[in-house]
Amino acid sequence: MELGLSSTSDKSVKKLDPRTKLCLLIAISLIMVGGKTVGVEYILRVICAAIPFVLLLTVRHIKSALIYVMLLGLSVFCEGSVIPNISGAPNLILMILCGIISRFVPGYMMGWYTVRSTSVSEFMTAMDRMHVPYFITIPFSVMFRYFPTLGEEYRSIHDAMKMREIGQSVKNPFIYIEYVLVPIMMSTVRIADELSAASLTKGLCAGGKRTHICQISIKFYDWLLMLGSLVMIVLFFVF
Amino acid sequence: MEKKFEIKDLITVGVFTALYFAVTFAVACIGFIPIFMVFMPLIGPIFTGIPLMLYFSKIKHFGMITITSVIIAILMFITGHPYPIFIFCIGAGLLTELVLKAGNYQSIKSCVIGSSTFSLWLLGMVIAFFFGFRESYLNSLVDGYGQEYVDKMSGYTPTWVFFTMIAMCIVGGLIGGLLGAKVLKKHFRKAGIV
Repeated sequence: MELGLSSTSDKSVKKLDPRTKLCLLIAISLIMVGGKTVGVEYILRVICAAIPFVLLLTVRHIKSALIYVMLLGLSVFCEGSVIPNISGAPNLILMILCGIISRFVPGYMMGWYTVRSTSVSEFMTAMDRMHVPYFITIPFSVMFRYFPTLGEEYRSIHDAMKMREIGQSVKNPFIYIEYVLVPIMMSTVRIADELSAASLTKGLCAGGKRTHICQISIKFYDWLLMLGSLVMIVLFFVF
Repeated sequence: MEKKFEIKDLITVGVFTALYFAVTFAVACIGFIPIFMVFMPLIGPIFTGIPLMLYFSKIKHFGMITITSVIIAILMFITGHPYPIFIFCIGAGLLTELVLKAGNYQSIKSCVIGSSTFSLWLLGMVIAFFFGFRESYLNSLVDGYGQEYVDKMSGYTPTWVFFTMIAMCIVGGLIGGLLGAKVLKKHFRKAGIV
């Protein structure tokens, strides 16, 4: 299931162009991470926080959309009514926690949506249209494909370590790191080899222009969303 | 030795950059605690040095580490770091490239030095606390994290700390590189992977 850039093509839902998603992603992370919480920027923040929720609903990731909203709501609630009433160390910890959630989670969810709703082929085609050189796009698509695998590998290794009762004690972090990192690195090397073998069979090394069957085009609502994110970025820098 | 740049290399770049970025991200998470933020440039490279050394051992061509640095710069920019990150990342990447080139992409010694020069990009992450960016960045932090947090942060980061951070990066990178070399020797050479 969790295979990163998924290849599910859901025809019933209007698909956004990968370039639009990137535009939105940049706008959201710029505004959410750097923005203030007063005035115009507050409105921008609300809009930006809402975008990943709506988009997640359109690809029917209802569970993750709900978790996202609950997390965000909780942190906003804490910032609004819990934090002013307490002080000292708990205040600082809660403040930092809420700050991290409300700043990074929307961008993270947008990134997650982008990865889950874009196939490798679509991504490559869109990048090709933008004239991004191939030595940037190939590592990028490999990376996005690899991140979820990395998580899977980590969980399996963690389970295996648990069975042998390693990593339970935090007495020596270096031992834990060695026992987790080394297997991950081993599997990384193996996966790199496998991927290059796969790319060889797919004729990626053959040169020549890449062909594709996925349909990529910037439609009306893509223009609308891109314009929207551009306006938000401009507003963000002006105010 | 001087073979053409292949797709295989690009895939290696992608996979190892993902691993490097994930480790960096995991370490950076502790950087939100104010005092650890200051020591990030020291702690970070120690942990990231281990996968980095494995990556360096796989590098055979000029340009791979530069691509890694460009990708990290783009990812960092998207996750909301200010633009100087590009200068630091790509600068550190090119420098490392030269160091590795000097060792002909084979010598362990230049790999260890490369590990420390590559970790200089972390300075791009903390530059927001210093020089011309300081005031506006701290102000933007106030309503997100609270005055108390910002006071702590600004107390920990007078300008001289920046120069200490450069030293921390280099030392941390060296320790990480040596640690990585040791891990490589212990686990990977035996398995015939390196």
